[in-house]
This record gives sequence, structure tokens and C-alpha cells, in this order.
Amino acid sequence: MKSLRLLLILAALGSCAFAQKYAIVADKLYTEAGNHKAGTPGVVLIDNGKITSVSTGAAPAGYTAIHAAVVTPGLIDPKTTVGISGAYNIPADQDQDESTDPNTADVRAFDSFNPNEKLLSFVNTYAVTTVQTAPGIINPIAGQAAIFKTVGPLSPGMTAEQLSLRPVSAMVFNLGESPKQNYGKDHKAPGTRMGTAALIRKALLDAQAYDRKWGDWNKSEKKDPSKQPARDTKQEALAAVVRGEVPAIFNAYRQDDIDTAIRLAREFKLKFILSSVTEGYMMADVIKSSGAPALVGPTLQRIESMETDNASIEDAAILANTGIPVGIMTGFEGYVPKNRVLLFEAAIAAANGLGPDRALRSVTIDAAKILGIADRVGSLEAGKDADLALFDGDPFEYTSHVVAVFVNGKETYKRE
Amino acid sequence: MNNLRLLLCLLLLASIAFAQNAVPLRPNSGVIVFRGAKVYPISGAPIEHGVVVVNGGKIAAVGAEGKVEVPRGAKVIDVTGKVVMPGIVDTHSHIGIGPAPSVPANADINEMTGPLEPQVRAMDAIYPADPRIRMATAGGITTANIMPGSGNVIGGQTAYVKLRGSTIEEMLIPGALGGLKMANGENPKNYGRRNQAPMTRMEEAALARKEYIKAQEYKRKWDDYNKKVAANDKDAKPPERDLELEPLVEVLDGKRIVQHHTHRADDIMTVLRLADEFHFRVVIHHATEAYKVADELAKRHVPATITIIDAPGGKLEAINVDLRDAAILDKSGVKIAFNTDDDINSSRFILREAALAVREGLSEETALKALTINAAEMLDLQQRVGTLEPGKDADLVVLSGSPFSVYTKVLETWIEGQKVYDHSLPEDAHYYSGGYNFGAQYPNLPNTPATTGGAQ
Repeated sequence: MKSLRLLLILAALGSCAFAQKYAIVADKLYTEAGNHKAGTPGVVLIDNGKITSVSTGAAPAGYTAIHAAVVTPGLIDPKTTVGISGAYNIPADQDQDESTDPNTADVRAFDSFNPNEKLLSFVNTYAVTTVQTAPGIINPIAGQAAIFKTVGPLSPGMTAEQLSLRPVSAMVFNLGESPKQNYGKDHKAPGTRMGTAALIRKALLDAQAYDRKWGDWNKSEKKDPSKQPARDTKQEALAAVVRGEVPAIFNAYRQDDIDTAIRLAREFKLKFILSSVTEGYMMADVIKSSGAPALVGPTLQRIESMETDNASIEDAAILANTGIPVGIMTGFEGYVPKNRVLLFEAAIAAANGLGPDRALRSVTIDAAKILGIADRVGSLEAGKDADLALFDGDPFEYTSHVVAVFVNGKETYKRE
Repeated sequence: MNNLRLLLCLLLLASIAFAQNAVPLRPNSGVIVFRGAKVYPISGAPIEHGVVVVNGGKIAAVGAEGKVEVPRGAKVIDVTGKVVMPGIVDTHSHIGIGPAPSVPANADINEMTGPLEPQVRAMDAIYPADPRIRMATAGGITTANIMPGSGNVIGGQTAYVKLRGSTIEEMLIPGALGGLKMANGENPKNYGRRNQAPMTRMEEAALARKEYIKAQEYKRKWDDYNKKVAANDKDAKPPERDLELEPLVEVLDGKRIVQHHTHRADDIMTVLRLADEFHFRVVIHHATEAYKVADELAKRHVPATITIIDAPGGKLEAINVDLRDAAILDKSGVKIAFNTDDDINSSRFILREAALAVREGLSEETALKALTINAAEMLDLQQRVGTLEPGKDADLVVLSGSPFSVYTKVLETWIEGQKVYDHSLPEDAHYYSGGYNFGAQYPNLPNTPATTGGAQ
């Protein structure tokens, strides 16, 4: 009997923890929405995983109050390989590049995503609550990205399904050095930038034809099973891209590669996003007129190849000054450090022309808008997911700390 | 006519020299006074309204306003509201020896033809026009230990340099022998992939021991010979010179410090075991897991220079990267410094490394020492650099604010009284922002001298 009572109490406590109502009290609140004067005191109420209100004043009764000097939305890393490219950097934990075929449109980051990966929890301790995890940098058509929430040191075990925000969020295309170097060394296509572009054009043309074939069949009144087109998982995935349902991300560093991305996207009328964009500052007007947003970064990108030779820490600022929607990303790292810290990358951009306000937007609401997930995350507003980052000072200062992180209304990290 | 041709030739040569883009060495004999800044002399407490007097490339005086005589006719630089600190000493860098861009044509860091390469010298591969050297001055670095890589058990002789000059001879610090680069752990094991030694950590240590035992014997021969010469023995015959063993004898004699790449705690212990056996002076580089064996380092007075890495991993021996390393070592009594390992970290952001250590518990005072005097001591250069004290080289950095703020900029970098970086000049500032090649390619942007990064 006693043990039953204890069990009931424990169960009640457990459900309390699950449905905990928090009042996050900030000296300086940045909601990244028009609902609060940025940088002034405010209270965010959290109930059942969602934000229920943003207001000023004291924490109401019935809520667990947590105070912090600065509170912002949880950060969004709009393109990373966290979750599929492990910290150990040994073949056993590297699942980002299916470099057996230059066109792997059918592979999904979702199917490599490891919620228990050390780096996923690590980035959570640096305020990242949402990641777009994308296939790597080798294949011209690298595969399908997905968007996940992160887990932190305090999170219970989770599956990719439980963390998923968008199981298919984008198709990744890679231009420049990596594809041609990887395949060219074995005398396979692509061996040149021309080859990479030709390969992508051919695949997109095929996808258009495939899409027409299925469209015709779907429209046909008498659905003759003998005439039903065969499914092709690569063309199926690319058909969604040529229909504009799935955005294309073109990863390009050098100016002419960025230009090639725009040329290809225009030809096939793709909805597209540029990533890396290292020499973007040299052609901001061209990018602006293409209508594409830019996922810039990492700001501390190493000058490690010809195509990153002209990396500038002012890239994000120059693009943003031109009116291009900018998100800051960590992208992919192949050595030490295995992953960049989004907060630090945004900080360097903040201090070098972008300014703290725009830098914060570039990793919260602007990143959310670029990825099409602003209905759920990116700002602190009633009805949105309760993803928050708490700091003891200016989030971008080297010597400030992330003191707590919330994902879906649950505390995933707390600084000791 | 001939004169004209000569003039043209000279102009052409001059323009080539300019295009080479190193900071030329300009002897500086004038008196320069930095006035009004918060001065961190490091040798003493910070001075709120400080005056630093530089004469002939040396520090002449440092003190508070009113307490230091400002010589007549001195060039006075008003740095009111700014911060002045000694030039930063980077204990571990590959600038110049692995120039930008990182393409095979530029790769001269690792002589991967054998695991024991004590005879190779960094100075024979350093390219003074590497833009990374200018980028390092944009980060406030004035002195660097430029090293061979960690691919070999003994990687070669390192070069202690000032970041100016058009030739390595102008860059080298007079009288400074340099260090000896050694490595253990994962990197030298790469020979195993070719079925060559070393394939294991055991063999790495065995190779090092064999080599030092050879050096001990070689040293004995020379010691015998020198004794005979001293005793006027006319029959004394010098032993044959061995370029491989000479630098190791310098190590055994304590003239050359072993600069040892090592990450994992057990690898650090292996270094200490070798140092105990052969009594060599050693600095632990990277020191990723040093916090686990801090007491072992402390009791031997072995210092550590840390490469601050943002995230764990990338290689197994860096999986336990922890920003608290510096603070723990300091508390345990281990002398620490920071290094960029450029291009692992960019030299432009060496202050950031110290700041991230402060973020996780290191005192600002130790962090500043780590960037300056502690680093100088690890290179035996503490008599010349590392503090702002009369008689020392006039190497200093002017900062816009706190050394530990992300918003602070290096405004000026001075080496021996010569300004090598000026953030107010666009042609200098692009070494900070990056995109240093763009001026040459895009004339609508601030015009800059061409670098060799592009067309070749």
C-alpha cells in the first residue's frame, strides 16, 4: 500500500515535471517579434511545451520562475551536419557523405540522424534548439536535409521522429571544389565544374520529365496499371524540387560557383537558398536580384582551399546591408574543431559589421523564415514552441555564459 | 639611357618587392611615446593613464602620466581610452610554412618521408610574403614559434621569429636557436597506414628513445673532443658532424626546448617519461587532456601551451576538449600559454582564445600573462619580449577596449618601434577581415597590393 502511494506520488511528480509551467523572467528580453520592446524586462510564460504569453511585470503564481539577465529565442542553425557527422571523425560515425554516386538525391539526412550524437547535445549547451541537418559537401546532388529539435544533457532519450520538425526540408546541391576533386581523382564525373553543372542539369531535366510522366498518369481517367510509370526514388525526390515544393540549397564558395547556382536555379525555376556564400560579398547585387536568401558561414571559416581563400568575416554584414535575407550557419567541418559553435560564429559577425541585433536575428527569426519554420520557432510569441536560451550577459560576449536552454518547454541544459 | 633602364629595373624590382607583401624591415631610431591608454605592462599592475616611451626600437620607460618623462621632440601618439599591452607571443604557429591558400604546392609543414627529421629546419621553408603572417599581426601577434607539423615523432627545428621582414633572416630573432618539434599520439601513427613505423604509440616512444640514446653517444664524442682541445691535445680529431644529432645535443644541453605536440593524458605522461629519462626541457603543446594530469606537470615544472578548440572531436585525441583546461592547470600551478596552431585557429583571434579560457574560469591576469610573458618564457625569450619593461623590445599592441571582449579590435601592432599593422588603413584592415585578395581582383573595393595567392 505504502509503495503504491509512493508510486502514485512519483507518477504525479513525473507528470508535473512533464507539464511544468515556467515563467522565464528576463532583465533583457529579446523576443524577435513585435510583441515586446527588445532588450527591456519581460516575462515569458510556458505551459505544456508552448509559449502562452509574453508580458512585463512579475511571474504569476503557479509558475516556476526562472530569472536570467538576457533571454532570447533558442538559436536555429540553418545548415549543419550535426547528428550525422559525429565528433569522433572516424568512418564509424561519419554518415554525411554518400560519396558512391554523384547523384544521391534519394538519401535522407533523417535516415542517418543519431539523436545520441555527442555534438548534438554539445550544441544544445550553446543555445542551439533547432538544426537543419544536411548531407555533406561532396556530391553534386547530395540528398535531402531535415530539420530537428536538439537534445541537451538533461533531455531524456529521443528518436529522430520525436525530434523532427520537417523530415524533408531541402535538397542539397554542391558546387565548386569538393565534387570534382572527390570524383575527378578516380577519373569519374564530375572532374570539372562544367561536369558538376552538366550533371545537375541532366538530373533536373530528367526529374521534370519524370514529373510530367506521373502527372499524365495521375490525370489519365482510366488508370491502366500496365501503363503506370515505375517509381524512381531519386527522380521522385528531385521532382518535388522542380515543382517548387522542396527548396534547393546550393552550397557554393567561389563567386563563379555562386553564379552557377543562380543560373541553374533560374533555368529550372527552383525555389532556392545559397549556402556558404564565401565570396558572396563580391556580388551582393547579383545575389539580391536572384531573390535567394543566404546561409553564410561559418564566420570563422578556415582559409583552407582556393575557394575559401577570399573568406571575409564581413560577408554576412555586406550581404545583409544589400537587403539579402541572411542566416548564419555552421556548415560542415572535416577536422578540428569538428563543429563550429553557432553562437560564436554569430558573435564574430555581430562584432564585424552585422551588429548584435541583426546577428541575433540571423540565428533566430531570419533563419526560421528562410527555412519556412517561423510558424513554430525563431521568436518568442504566444502559440510558438517554448524554445528559449538564457544568458548571464550579452549573448555574444566571449565571457558570457549560456545559463539554461529550453526545448519544447523542457529544460535541456542548465549551467552548474 | 642606360640609367633610365636601370631605374626602370629598380622600379620593377621595387614593385615586385611590394607585391611580395611582407612587412619590410625598417630600422627605427626615433623616440615614440604612447600616451593616455590603460597600459598592461604585465610585469606589474595595470596603469590607468599610462605612458610608454619607445626609443630606438626598445622600451625606454613605462609609467603613469606625470611620472614618466616625455622626451622633447618625441613623436607622441595619443591613445587615450585605448588599451596597450605587450605584443602577443604565439607559441605554436604554422604561418609562413603553410602559406595561404592551403594547396599541395604550398604544403611544407610535414616532411613525411620518415618519422625522425631533426635535421630539417622550419626556417628553410618559411615564406615571408605569406598573407597569414600579416593576418597574425592583425591579431596582435608580434613573436611566433613557427614549427614543422606533428606528422613525425621528431618534426624538425622550429623558428622563433618576429612578424616582419622580407627574408627569414630578417624575421629570425638574433641569438634564438629555436625549439625542436616533437609529436606523439595519433598523427605520427599515420605511417602505420603505409605499413611503416611507427604504427603504435609504443613505437613512437621507442623511436624517440633510440634517437636520444644515439644523441647521448654523439654528445659524449664531442665532449671528449672538446675536452682534449681545451687540454691543448694537438692530436685531437673532431668527430664527424651529424646534422640529425646536432639539434638533439642542443636539446640535451638545455639550449633547445622540446616543443611537444601531445593531447591525451597518457600521451602527455609518455612525454614526461621521456623528459625524465633524457632530462630535456619540454613544453606541452595542445595539452587537451592536461587537466587530467595537472599535478604531474606541476611537480616537474613543465609548462603547457593550449590551443583553444571550440568543439570536441575531429580526431579521437581531441574528444575531451574542455574550455576549463586552462583554469584547472593554472589552479594546479602549471604555467600556461595559448597558441593558434594556425591554421587550426586563425592568428587574428588569439585574444579570443584567452577570452574563452576566461569564460570558463581563468583569471584575466593569468590570461594576459599566458599571451605574453609565459609564452616568451616557453621560448626562452623572456629577456627580450613578453612585458613592457625598459630595455625590452618595443613590441606592443594598441586595442580599442578590453582584451577579452568580442567587440574589441586590434588597432595597431608595433614591433621594435615599427608599426606593422594599422587598422585604420584599409590595406592593413583587410588582413583582419579576410578577403585580402579582393582588392587586387575587384578595383571598386579598397585597392590593395596584389598577393601571390591568386594566379600562380
